[in-house]
Formats: sequence, structure tokens, C-alpha cells
Amino acid sequence: MSEPLLTLERIGKVYGAKMALHDVNFSLYPGEFIALVGMSGGGKSTILRLIAQLEAPTSGEITFAQSDMVTRVMFQNDRLLPWLTNVQNLSFKSSDPTQQARALAMLDTIGLADFANGYPSALSGGQKQRLALGRALMADPQLLLLDEPLGALDALTRRKMQASIAKICHDQQLTTLLITHDVEEAARMADRVIVIKDGTNIYEADGAKGQDAATIGTVAERVLEVILNPATPARG
Amino acid sequence: MDNATNLTPPRQQPRIYQFKQLLPWLIPIALILLWQVAGSLNWLSTTLLPTPWSVFQDGVSLWRAGELPKNLGISLYRALMGFALGASIGFFFGMLNGLSKTARGLFDSTIQMLRNIPHLSLIPVVIILFGIGETAKISLVTVGVMFPIYINTFHGITSVDPELIEMGQAYGLSPKALLTKIVFPGALPTILVGVRYALGVMWTTLIVAETISSNSGIGYMATNAQEFMNMKTVLLCIVIYALLGKASDLIAKLLEAICLDWQVKRSR
Repeated sequence: MSEPLLTLERIGKVYGAKMALHDVNFSLYPGEFIALVGMSGGGKSTILRLIAQLEAPTSGEITFAQSDMVTRVMFQNDRLLPWLTNVQNLSFKSSDPTQQARALAMLDTIGLADFANGYPSALSGGQKQRLALGRALMADPQLLLLDEPLGALDALTRRKMQASIAKICHDQQLTTLLITHDVEEAARMADRVIVIKDGTNIYEADGAKGQDAATIGTVAERVLEVILNPATPARG
Repeated sequence: MDNATNLTPPRQQPRIYQFKQLLPWLIPIALILLWQVAGSLNWLSTTLLPTPWSVFQDGVSLWRAGELPKNLGISLYRALMGFALGASIGFFFGMLNGLSKTARGLFDSTIQMLRNIPHLSLIPVVIILFGIGETAKISLVTVGVMFPIYINTFHGITSVDPELIEMGQAYGLSPKALLTKIVFPGALPTILVGVRYALGVMWTTLIVAETISSNSGIGYMATNAQEFMNMKTVLLCIVIYALLGKASDLIAKLLEAICLDWQVKRSR
């Protein structure tokens, strides 16, 4: 296996008297799609925020393969700027013609070419998340961080978005970290599934990306068992 | 196409639209007509309350004599100068205190104390310091306008959704880009509420200042007319205030329509 793009070693994070993370260890390899799953409050989003450098760990070390690695986050809520048109949201209203052209091409890629000059408020939930995905992809990131981006969508839109994201990440060989509490989503989309429980990673399993429903179901079932098991198993 | 359903054409909208456009003017027009009729039929004493038509004629003669344009021009100059100064100072401190916690600690308490002094109570102080010249009136308008702009700018900046700022930081925006692309546009709706309110304060302050300490301007015209029991000119000045207030409101709405077109489109 090639050198990891990102390594987390003995990561800990404390907020006041609350220990949010302790002894988190895993690596992410180029082109890999990893899903972090676990119950709410388990520390998944904290891990993402540390990797995105929105916060610093209290202990441990996060090592990036390159110091200037481009990382982009797609948040649970779209965080689109309501005062910018959809195409401007992608380029952050850049006056650079190259960026504007890239934004228009990206709208085409994410299937929103017809909505270029409209505002995000006129888009559906799924369309807003596609636009947020497009914005994240505009910088050609080496690492894409997805923080439960599909949590607020209906089941049908969610499945469509899962397929869209998986295809884009696969086509662009994007290294991706998905945070989700949906074990089936994790099994369906990821190469590797890591279970986060009580602030640490307790279990790892191969994902079932591109495999049949039965295999996805088996992986999801096993992961769910680990999450729900009151006796936390040793790292698997 | 025998079975094709004949769809009734959509109802014509223009008439309803035109009626809605006229709706806000119905009450003012009805009141003026009623006032005219009451005056013409001597239900009201035209010495105490001249008819709208005679007020209009008085306006035309004052305009022709050059008195009305001169006083109107002076009042507009004072209002605009005072607004420009007050809005600039309020905006500067609103932005500064909204963006910097150190500046907030240093300035905000003092500004809040000063804000609670009714600015019209400063008139005696202003007259003693600056006399009854232009500086006195412009500085009063400046003080009146400054605080609503300050409060709304400060509140607008500090109320910008922190998640949007975090997104901007995560996407590598520079501090300048964060300010121009996220913080300022996010604060703009609240700032414009302040502008709208400040425009009202601007006229109120100027009218009072010109009434008390002036030898020119619309407020002076009204006071002077009152001394000669010239009710036509007093009423004319009141009508001019109303029209200037309405014009300010239209300007504020126009600003909102230009700067906040995304909100207008969303609410459709």
C-alpha cells in the first residue's frame, strides 16, 4: 500500500471537563473512501473538525502527506451564501474569468446548469447539497471531508446523492472521509468503515462499495452490532 | 383534438395590479378631498385651516419668488451633510466594534451611555458651542443619525451566522474576502434597517433644529410663518416634511431592492 495521505496518532480532544476524543488512530490512503460511523455524540464530527484544522487536537498528532494539502469540507447543512447566485456560490463571486468558467462547468457536472443564475433559496434540499458538493470540488481537493451531508434528505434523494457522490469521488480518484450515522450508507459507499464509539475508534471493517445489496446488508449488520454492543470490543 | 379540454385563459391581472398600486394613496387623497370640501363649504374656518388648494397656490407663489427653493435647498444640504457624517461615524464604529473584541471593550460602553442621551436635549449645548450657524444644525443631525446606524451595523456584524464564517475559513478565504463576501453581505439587511430608521431621525432632528435655532430652511419658514399667523405657509411646510419623509422612505426601499435583491426574489 502507498504512503498514507493522512495519519491520526493517539488523538485526544478535551472540551472543558468533557473528553470528546481519546486515543484515536487511523490512516487514510490516497484514493480511499473511508466512512466513520457511530452514534450521535460519539466524536465523529470532532475528528472531522480536527482534520479540517477548524480545531486543534488536545493531544496526539495529525500528519498530512503534504503541508499544503487542499482539504474541503461538505457540511451537514449546506452553508450556501444566500446572497450569491448558485454559480457565484461556487466561485465565491470571483472576478477571475477562469474561475467563472470552472463554476459553470461544475454546475453542469452536478446537474444544476439550468439554475446558474438563480439563488440557493429556490433549490430543493438535494439540489442545495449538490451545489455544496460542487463548491467543495471547485478547488480540486486532495481530501474531501463529508460531515453527514445527506442527513436531512428524504430517502429517495439520499440514495441518488449517495450514487452521485460515490461516482464523482470514484471518477476523480478523490480521497474521501464520510461521517455518517447510517451504517448502510457507510457500507454502500466506503472502501473501509471505521466505528467510532465513546470518543475512540473501536472497530474497522471492509466496506461493500459497488457490491450487491446482500453484501452491503451483511457489512451494515456487523457494524451495527458493534455499535450497539454495550461491551465495547477491542480494536478489530 | 376533439377531446381536448378547453382551458379557460388565465384571469387578467393588470387591473388588480393597478388597484394595488393605487391602494396606499387612497386614504391621503380622500383626506385631502374631504379637507378641500369642508373648507370650500365653510365647515372649517379657512383662516385657521386654509384649503389644500390655497396651500398649493401659496407653494407655487413661494416657489416663483425663490424663497421655497432656497430654503428647501438649505434644508436638503443640512440633512444630507448630517446624514453622511453621522452614517459614516456610526458605520465605522459599528464595523470596528463588531469585528474587534478589543475595540468593543474600549468603545461600546461609552457609545451606549451617549446613545441614551436624547440628542435633541443637546440643542442648548450645541447653540452655546456653535451658535445658530450650519455647524450647529449639521452636528445635531450627525448625532441623531449616528446611533441607529451604529447599533444596526454592530448588531448586523455580530449576528452573522458563525457557520457561514466557519465555512469561509474552511474554504481558505482571506480575512478581507471573509469580510467582503460573508460578513458584510450577511450584516447588510440589518444595516439597511438602521439606514431607514436614521433617515426618519434625520428629518425629525433637522426640523426641530431649524425651528429653534435658524434663519433659513424649511423649519425656519414654518416658525416665521407662525409668527405672522400665515397658516398657508405653516401647512405647506408640514406637507413638505411629509413629502420629504416619503421620499426618504422610497430611497431606503430602493436601496434595499438594489442591495437585497436576493431577499426580494426569495420572498416571491
